[in-house]
Amino acid sequence: MTVEVQKYTMEQVEALEVAPGADHENLEGWVPALATDDALRDALEKAFDYRGDVTLTLKSGERIEAYIFNRHTAATLDNSCVQYFAPDDPEKHKVSYAEIARIEFTGKDRAAGKHWEDWVKNYNERKAAGETNIALAPDALE
Amino acid sequence: MAIPISQMWTVSTYVLKNRLAGRKRFSLTLMLEPLFRCSLACAGCGKVQYPPHILKRQLTPEECFAAVEECGAPMVAIPGGEPLLHPQITEIVNGLVARKKYVYLCTNALELKHRLPEFTPSKYLTFSVHLDGQREHHDFGVCRDGAYDIAIEGIKEAVRRGFRVTTNATFFDGVDPNNARAFFDEVMAMGVEGIILSPGYSYDKAPDQHHFMGRARVRRLFRAILSNRKPTWKFNMSPLFLEFLMGDRNYECVPWGMPTYNIFGWQKPCYLLQDGFVDSYKELLETTDWEKYGVPSGNPKCANCMVSCGYETPAVIDGFTTWKGFLAMARGNFNKYPDSQALKQLSEAAAPAEQTEQCCCCHEETKS
Repeated sequence: MTVEVQKYTMEQVEALEVAPGADHENLEGWVPALATDDALRDALEKAFDYRGDVTLTLKSGERIEAYIFNRHTAATLDNSCVQYFAPDDPEKHKVSYAEIARIEFTGKDRAAGKHWEDWVKNYNERKAAGETNIALAPDALE
Repeated sequence: MAIPISQMWTVSTYVLKNRLAGRKRFSLTLMLEPLFRCSLACAGCGKVQYPPHILKRQLTPEECFAAVEECGAPMVAIPGGEPLLHPQITEIVNGLVARKKYVYLCTNALELKHRLPEFTPSKYLTFSVHLDGQREHHDFGVCRDGAYDIAIEGIKEAVRRGFRVTTNATFFDGVDPNNARAFFDEVMAMGVEGIILSPGYSYDKAPDQHHFMGRARVRRLFRAILSNRKPTWKFNMSPLFLEFLMGDRNYECVPWGMPTYNIFGWQKPCYLLQDGFVDSYKELLETTDWEKYGVPSGNPKCANCMVSCGYETPAVIDGFTTWKGFLAMARGNFNKYPDSQALKQLSEAAAPAEQTEQCCCCHEETKS
């Protein structure tokens, strides 16, 4: 997440026993209201952090399903842009914030359900059921 | 230290040349991620959680060579994803070796044994095998029973064929220092050149955010593990970085020391944080707001990081550019770091915990 809610002093850092870590929001299926420029910027920042595809609807009416991997922010929406990869297209693309009318977090969140606790629970359940050679498989490439 | 003299010479002269040229920022190791696909699905890994169309993408050998030339670093680490899944990995490795780059191909070794005939042993090529501990611990950590045994077969075959081999371990919260030391005994007995290790770090992109040590705990753990060293142990790392992990010295993060290049471009600011991408190495060095990162910045994302990608570079530079650092580095190669407090810590860790049971990975403690 890009919003820095707290800054640590050197003393606090050196004394840290356990890292607090970041909280990941459940964004799958979210369609943010983009009433203001700030709301648009915030939504695109979240789209940049999101580990799944989003669908952008441009003011031209064009719809783009894509994985947003980068953003450049500037003082104006015209000068700010996101970079994305669309499925079945090898090229990187870019679109200005000013062209974006709607964002939908349509793709599956690929990081969801992959916490350590999920694995421990999964392992214990499978072991209790008598399974051997327990493993998590990578996501299928579909 | 288990690093060959020719490699040390290459790195030391590279560091000195850059210093004499007055360069403030230069890189020692390029982290080249040619793809994000992996054959494992380790809980906690933040490198592989992408939609399928991203996982199918990969850098071409030409893109890899261009990045390596542009960066100029004498060493190239190839993590991923699993690099052996790249259909042109042999071509990439051969091209880097031909450029006299010291290549560390980081692999989970599930495919290593049967892929070895495709590679040629060279002082420039090291297989750096991901092993996080002894069998039970590693298998649980990578979420796959049997992974350790397969990796060991690959290691032994690679050693037999004359390849340089290291192991590469990440230690997370809850690791028993006695197990870590026993693991060092095991891998050294297999004939590996040395051990590479690092503490885990709760970078934003990792799905798991709750099993990462803060700096105080990292230092205690590594002091227990790395004090009272056995003569058989060799580390493929700067001794000064190991002293940093033990809390004996302090360095500031040098994120540009090990920059990352992947299908998205040059990653800002470091291997673990993804705050954006730029199209060139020059742009990375010149446009990244470096003051926003590292412990002195107060950035909470950097608060618990003591990872080699940020802190080994300053240790290496210290060792090759100051007499004090050079002497400490030389001393570190022979020092066994005797420490009675660390021995006490080991015996306390070995004592059975009353009324509690730990799962095999030591992450979960339950009342019995």
